[in-house]
Amino acid sequence: MIRRKRFLIGGIVILLAVAYLGYRGFEGSATYYLTVSEVKEQGGRIAGENVRVNGRVAPGSVDWDAENNILRFVLVDEEKGLSVLYKGIVPDAFKADSNVVVEGGLESDGIFHADAILTRCPSKYAPEE
Amino acid sequence: MADIGYISLLLALGASLYSALAFVIGVRKRYPELVASARNSLLCVGGLVSLAALALVYALLTHDFQIESVAYYTSRDLPLIYTLSAFWAGNAGSLLFWAWLLSLFAAIVAMQNRGRNRELLPYAGSIMMATEAFFLILMIFLTNPFQKLLSTPAEGSGLNPLLENVGMIFHPPALLAGYVGLTVPFAFAMAALLSGRLGDDWMRSIRRWALLAWLLLGLGNLLGAQWAYVELGWGGYWSWDPVENAGLMPWLVATAFLHSAVIQRRRGMLKVWNMVLIMLAFNLSIFGTFLTRSGILSSVHTFSESAMGPFFLGFMGVVLLGSLILIYYHRQQLKSENELDSFVSRESAFLLNNLLLVGITFAILVGTIFPAISEAVRGVKIAVGTPFFNKVTGPVFLALILLMGICPLIGWRRARMNDLIRSFIYPLGTATIVGVVLFLGGIREWYALVAFSLCSFVISAILFDWFRGVRARHRVRSDNYLKAFLGLLWGNKPRYGGYIVHIAILLIATGVVGSSFYKMEKEVALAPGEAMTIKNYTLIYEGKTEKVTQSKLVTTATLSVFNGVEFIGTMTPEKYFHRSYQQPVTEVALRSTLLEDLYVVLGGWTADGTTTFKVLVNPLVSWIWMGGGFLFLGGLIAFWPDKRERR
Repeated sequence: MIRRKRFLIGGIVILLAVAYLGYRGFEGSATYYLTVSEVKEQGGRIAGENVRVNGRVAPGSVDWDAENNILRFVLVDEEKGLSVLYKGIVPDAFKADSNVVVEGGLESDGIFHADAILTRCPSKYAPEE
Repeated sequence: MADIGYISLLLALGASLYSALAFVIGVRKRYPELVASARNSLLCVGGLVSLAALALVYALLTHDFQIESVAYYTSRDLPLIYTLSAFWAGNAGSLLFWAWLLSLFAAIVAMQNRGRNRELLPYAGSIMMATEAFFLILMIFLTNPFQKLLSTPAEGSGLNPLLENVGMIFHPPALLAGYVGLTVPFAFAMAALLSGRLGDDWMRSIRRWALLAWLLLGLGNLLGAQWAYVELGWGGYWSWDPVENAGLMPWLVATAFLHSAVIQRRRGMLKVWNMVLIMLAFNLSIFGTFLTRSGILSSVHTFSESAMGPFFLGFMGVVLLGSLILIYYHRQQLKSENELDSFVSRESAFLLNNLLLVGITFAILVGTIFPAISEAVRGVKIAVGTPFFNKVTGPVFLALILLMGICPLIGWRRARMNDLIRSFIYPLGTATIVGVVLFLGGIREWYALVAFSLCSFVISAILFDWFRGVRARHRVRSDNYLKAFLGLLWGNKPRYGGYIVHIAILLIATGVVGSSFYKMEKEVALAPGEAMTIKNYTLIYEGKTEKVTQSKLVTTATLSVFNGVEFIGTMTPEKYFHRSYQQPVTEVALRSTLLEDLYVVLGGWTADGTTTFKVLVNPLVSWIWMGGGFLFLGGLIAFWPDKRERR
């Protein structure tokens, strides 16, 4: 019985260690996951914070500056729109009127500077109805 | 054709429900005729669902665009092989694929156990048929693979060009077959509980099924990673996307189960734990099927908005509660026959391995569904990113690798100090030498240094143990070394197959560590004639050409590549614009060596010819794919039927 207890304690210690690792990792990488409207409502309160925003690429808003590799577009939901600026290689699955998630932060100029554009795994795309 | 398919599914639902009930009633009330009829009904389900699957294949091949899943994912100009792969491109089709595989697996199980396991098989058959019925209900009531469109379009929308890649022919079916394969061990575990026959029979019946499912999941994940690497063009192969995690989690739990099952077979311990593991693996495979098909689990709302969400959640709940109640009810019979003798023994190393595997699975699960949890608890959605997963799993994976090296060196029950010292001396020596050499060679990242030393420790431990066996055989039987080596391998396939799998994991770990810590990345805009350098490579942009084919416009950029001053070839990253699909496809140019990959992505260009590129040097990535080869080989050896097992 004593031996069993020792093993139990060993197990708990290991699980606590994993939990601690999780906690540390969480501190470093937690981001708010918001919709476009929520970003607009929060406004300056989330300035400087790393957030993810889920929305739809507004048709006709995509402007790509090939020379400097800068992509500008407007991310929309049912109510509001958010200007996004992204520098880098544009993922293939990015296109007007598709759902994307942008990760980055809202700068003081009111424009969302994205470090990454996450598109959905293409196997999950259903064609537009 | 669509009607034949749909009617087959309806009949299959009836037959599977009948089979599930008749099995249980037949075995409880001791009507052998009823059990036999349930068994026939199970075989019928296999035939009916196969008929439905063939109906869909026929519809795909004949371009029957009246059927939604044909019109949405194929077009007439799609090559034959991708037309067939469109079977699992959509939601309904992949559910049909699931149900089809399960019905076939169930039929194979029924055939295999003809005249054997008379007590177990009816319950196992019943569980498999109930699961089958669940998937049939989803298809019949929610997403019919044979759904007809109101009007027949003249041409289909075509497959997403990103899915037109060899990896996509094998990756989804391998992963799905892995998910489905986990149903069989689960069914037998529940059958053992329901029938009260908790001896070794059920464990023996499922060993190879669990192994098969595990192998398919592992290969499915690696194929998916490779597809992402060569096709998605962001330079990596794993991004901790929920969909990727959904494939990894059941694999991790299945890995834990394969190890703890050894302990149950050899020492009669960990019986409850094994039951829990099987149930978790099965539930995670159901969860994975759902997640893969429903998209990003960004919010509790997406879970409930999707029509399938409540069904899956309900099914998982029933599985979880039902099996926990059964396990609790039979807890007396599941008592360990032995106790652990010592901390320093192979049993405790296996136990530790299990705790760590389940621990990281739990952490990955929490990370994956965190947005939904935080929204439910605090009303705000919070997501965790790649750093979270890397920080949690990195150290745990290292600990698992260490265990992999320690295990073959220590005996069962209780290790003796003298033996320990003798076994550890060579591997420890090798690890130290490798560590020092790498340090002197300029590797200063402590994590990479530790990881590489650990890997060399493990590989020498495995080889040392293997060599001891070969030498003993050489001495006792006076076989030559090669014959002794093969004889040893063939004489104990699970063990040496397992060693080969461990070598595969080491190769993969080395590749992952190398490419995570020593990756180089540059984004440049070049005019024709301009050059850029990355690491020891110089790339000169020669210009781009455009070519029009029947289905697409292809833009090809040509770069001359020099290693130092030596010309080593040209690389041609491309971009396709398909006529039928509003989406460009980036074809990465890849120059792969054992040491590193040079990876060039074509970004875009301006009217005056300035073109942007993303260039990466990814060290050791090819080791990951090599590891995949070893995984397949080792898994196959361990899976190979053994004469002794057949009886």
